[in-house]
Amino acid sequence: MKIVSPKLTARCQLLLCACVLILSSAAWTPVARAQSQDDLLLFLSLESFDNTSRSIPGFDNSYLRPTADILYAYNNGSFRFLGEYIWSSSESEMERFKLGWQASEKTMIWFGRFHTTAKYWTTEYHHGQFMQTSISRPGLEEWEDESGPMPSHITGVSIDHEIMQANQSALSFNFAAGLGPVFEGQELVPFDVLDPGGGHELSFNTHVAFRPDALSENQVGVMASWNDIPVISGSSPSLVDIRRIEQATIGVFADWRWDRWRLLTSWTYFDNDLTYTGSVANDDFTIGYIQGEYRQSRDWTIFGRTEIGFGEDNSPFLILLPAFIAHRHMLGLRWDYADKQSLTMEFADTSTQAQGSDHNNFKELRFQWSAVFP
Amino acid sequence: MKPVLTLLLFVVLLLSIRAIPAEQEVVLVVAHNSPIVELSALDIRKVYLGVSVTVDGHSIRSYRLNNDQRLNQIFMQSVIAMSEKSYERRLLSLTLKYGRPRPTEVDSPVMLMEFLKRNPLGIGYMWKSDAEKDAEIRIVKVLWQSR
Repeated sequence: MKIVSPKLTARCQLLLCACVLILSSAAWTPVARAQSQDDLLLFLSLESFDNTSRSIPGFDNSYLRPTADILYAYNNGSFRFLGEYIWSSSESEMERFKLGWQASEKTMIWFGRFHTTAKYWTTEYHHGQFMQTSISRPGLEEWEDESGPMPSHITGVSIDHEIMQANQSALSFNFAAGLGPVFEGQELVPFDVLDPGGGHELSFNTHVAFRPDALSENQVGVMASWNDIPVISGSSPSLVDIRRIEQATIGVFADWRWDRWRLLTSWTYFDNDLTYTGSVANDDFTIGYIQGEYRQSRDWTIFGRTEIGFGEDNSPFLILLPAFIAHRHMLGLRWDYADKQSLTMEFADTSTQAQGSDHNNFKELRFQWSAVFP
Repeated sequence: MKPVLTLLLFVVLLLSIRAIPAEQEVVLVVAHNSPIVELSALDIRKVYLGVSVTVDGHSIRSYRLNNDQRLNQIFMQSVIAMSEKSYERRLLSLTLKYGRPRPTEVDSPVMLMEFLKRNPLGIGYMWKSDAEKDAEIRIVKVLWQSR
């Protein structure tokens, strides 16, 4: 197992501090001060979960989870800051902490901790539970601590660039590089800026999106990532012989609205190289989801989602994530009873990865209140 | 008797003319010393949808009046081309995704004009009749007018 030296980690921290200082000083020129603007958002939700069938190892039969996601955005001339902290009954974490510099009208450079851009749902909704129509996230898009199969957080640099065409269509590019997660126990563990430690290796992400109308939300695109994931071999019996995992992904997505209808889909091909003591195992599979939504009236939306995979049943990588949601067929109803508050219900037939092709199947029922303030 | 009746009729006619409301216009305004001279309808839409539009290398900043439902409805329909609910969701999404603060909301036209005077790169929309009350505010464009 290759460990990043403490010296390198310290150098990364020093670089981060220098970036903060440079960006901060640029932000406090007189012109910039006149342009300063900030925003504070509080996403709140209360979710209840019930397994209405048999018990599944690694899953609670029921829970009630209150969550608060606090997001602060600050803009001062060419300088931008975004911080996001999440607290729930199961976690408390600095999710995003990034400083941005607008290099040109269409180019933005970010430094810090951010969400990976090779996952469509994550780049659209982040932790804004109220913003997503459904309660649950697809298994492909799950966070690291919810048995997500690929990194969700990177600490490093991210560049956004957009090209506007004369016909008002837009092509946007993102490239990100930084420290990714390690594999520990039964999940990926991202680099924590508040508790930095060694052992994290590089992750690269890219995301290209095309919008036929730059000001609309309809888009299609491709995403790719390459992640070097060191394994903490002693953290779980199933990891004893594994040293590292090299993961390459390539995916496509589409998010389209026609009048009252919306189609949201994303598919990702995984190519994992698992390095064991003295051997390497290759593993590849494709997983994805398709979600349909119908806005029955201004306040009521009916939605459903199917999550499936190809070649994932006997994946040696997914076996390391037994709680990964391999298959789910879900139906739901959302009522936006106020401008920024909603009630949602979901019922799903779900299967976790478990061990091999013998998935653990269960039925789940979820209710959620979600809101955003102010 | 006839002249009295004619006079009465004339007075009634005058009163009725005065009772017809004056033509209403929604205008885009900036501070009188603002470098913003012209802004296309598309650029206005971009600014209010959080897309960066620059003048002399500095981003234009937008302000909204939150005390006038009719004014906002007209602005949403004729400039933004979406419902207020969809617009609010869109702004939330841009803050969540890109860290772009939502347009500053102010409570009155007077307050909006004060904000604009302090920020020459700011734009706002209001009734023309309100904009004409302050000589330090310049009308850049008529966004909507009643027929």
